Amino acid sequence: MSLKNVFKRWEFILLVLIVAELAFFGILSPGFLNLGNLLYSTNDFAHVLIVAIPFTLVVITGGIDISVPSTMGLVSIIFGLTWKFAGFPIWLAVIAALGTGILAGAINGLFVANTDINPIVLTLGTQFLYSGLATGLSGSIGASGYNGIGGFPDGFNNLAYGMVFGLPNALVFSLLFAAAIGVFLAKTSTGRSLYLVGVNRNAALFSGIKVKRSTVTTYVLTGLGAAVAGIYLTAYFTSSRSDIGHDALMPILTAVVLGGTDINGGAGTILGTIIAAVLLGYLKQGLMTIGVTSDVSQVMVGIILIVTIVGKVLAGNAAQARLNRAALKKIGSS
Amino acid sequence: MKFLMKLLKRREVVVVLLLAIVVAVVGAINPVFVRPATLIDIVTSALILILLGVGESFVIITRGIDVSVGAVMGFAAVCLGLAANAGLSVPLSFGIAVLAGLVAGAISGAGVAFFKVPPIIMTLGTMGVLRGLMPVMTGGSWIDAVPQTVKNFAAARFLGLPATIWITLAIVIVTTIVLRRVRVARYFYPVGDNEEGAFLLGIPVAATKFAAYVISGGFAGIAAIFFVSQLSFVPMQAGSGQEMRAVAASVLGGVSLAGGLGTPIAPLVGGVFLTAIDSILVFLKVPAFWNDAVAGAILLAVVLFDYKIRTMMENEKKKARMLGRASGGLSGGLASGRKPADAQEGLR
Repeated sequence: MSLKNVFKRWEFILLVLIVAELAFFGILSPGFLNLGNLLYSTNDFAHVLIVAIPFTLVVITGGIDISVPSTMGLVSIIFGLTWKFAGFPIWLAVIAALGTGILAGAINGLFVANTDINPIVLTLGTQFLYSGLATGLSGSIGASGYNGIGGFPDGFNNLAYGMVFGLPNALVFSLLFAAAIGVFLAKTSTGRSLYLVGVNRNAALFSGIKVKRSTVTTYVLTGLGAAVAGIYLTAYFTSSRSDIGHDALMPILTAVVLGGTDINGGAGTILGTIIAAVLLGYLKQGLMTIGVTSDVSQVMVGIILIVTIVGKVLAGNAAQARLNRAALKKIGSS
Repeated sequence: MKFLMKLLKRREVVVVLLLAIVVAVVGAINPVFVRPATLIDIVTSALILILLGVGESFVIITRGIDVSVGAVMGFAAVCLGLAANAGLSVPLSFGIAVLAGLVAGAISGAGVAFFKVPPIIMTLGTMGVLRGLMPVMTGGSWIDAVPQTVKNFAAARFLGLPATIWITLAIVIVTTIVLRRVRVARYFYPVGDNEEGAFLLGIPVAATKFAAYVISGGFAGIAAIFFVSQLSFVPMQAGSGQEMRAVAASVLGGVSLAGGLGTPIAPLVGGVFLTAIDSILVFLKVPAFWNDAVAGAILLAVVLFDYKIRTMMENEKKKARMLGRASGGLSGGLASGRKPADAQEGLR
């Protein structure tokens, strides 16, 4: 890729925005630009990052998974339940929780792959189902409300606060996960086929791509991501609750779309998603440091989302018009 | 059999049947459930969901989705509360609520229709903005102590039923008739079914889409009136989570997210069904925490059942064509007025 193309890429623009953002908050509040501080604060949005990565794959295939937040809650409850009430050792409870997330994703994927029902409708149904199971399970053991199930060993809670090589655990995991999924998407034939599935499912089917299998894979990976995020949040809050991550859908979807993934499918990169998630995460942190309340920052995030997409649409239209004019000129001169 | 299949293809009928069976069974187990007072209670608590669903249906029929209706309702409720507490008259405060809804809807509509922002993104954005605005407008606290005159609206009764039920019924009936009979109102269907085709027919596609979101906002404003007068205070989480329930109610009743299909009857039926589940579980002595699980299972079951019926009928038609009765199959397909199988496949 030539250097000029690098500058034109959406990911590059997002990177420039991050730098501008850090500079802006750094000037307003010099304490903000502390490397340790910046690294540590990724803990506050690591769950968004972890889910947004596989979620990108789902959106690339033209799908969507509304049920992600309720999967996180269900995973958290299953973890607490198996540890405290079934007497599982922590590692087995973690495996049970991961299995729950994978199963939840597989159910979504199988429904989406085997019917022509809109994924929004299907995952809306499973969203109610999973969150209902989570509240039902936590309610029947008397752990409803904000207390949830707690008292996990420190070793587990430290998962969320510990460091490896001077980096927070969650950040390290996110980057490794992103690298794995990014390689899968860009370098394997199954990964690349996801784009075709998103552009034209029938064409993909007729070119011999195993559309069903790829579709299920994307949802299973998203379920896995939601499970990891659910376990992470459980450690972060040191208690397992059915409503963990309940407001995560909007930031996740914002990160994916802001990262350049086409909500109609067929385009998107993991790199874009990561950069956008970090951009949004630091935006929230930065606004908080300069004393903007979380309500106002929510308004600003909403406006930024809309303005960015409108800008992208207008820029796309302008580029198309330029191409059309150029093509017309060519025809005229020949 | 064929007639039965045709009837089962109408989702409203399936859901009403299902509801009737469930009510009968629960009534047999616990007769208190089928008392008029209980049933009226269920319908009354479904009204807000129905109104949100009717507005949502307009958007879904144009093949969009509006995930901001809950936030719009909350925002309109805050506007209403502030207006009423500032001493404005009740009709004026109600008018302000509807106006707030219309304005919020117009913002989403402008983004989707004129700037071509994907609906889910645009309405997610407005949802965030409005949810953030609510506490800013009230200074972070709830609005309580709404004047008694506002509460009178929900308390009013007419012919033995709460007036709010009559109003909602009237709204559903009027919108259904308008959607069937008024030429301009029918534009929503072609725009949702085949946008390019509608454009080539000279239908103002962008304006129609814009109108759908404005209407959706307006209905959320009306829902806010019901909400404030029923509850008599405005919590900050007013309407949160309602957007997904509104979509679920519409879809349960038969509005298709593939666009171009559905009536305002759908959210009426679906909304009552979803609300009834909550009470049914109480009457069956099942703890209330399982509500959502049951609602989700039913939503999934209904859409999957619908899918089975649809594919079965499509296969029948294909078989008929293969057997050389092509003319019969074709005219049958056209006469039923439904989209041909492959058109629906392509639109997905």
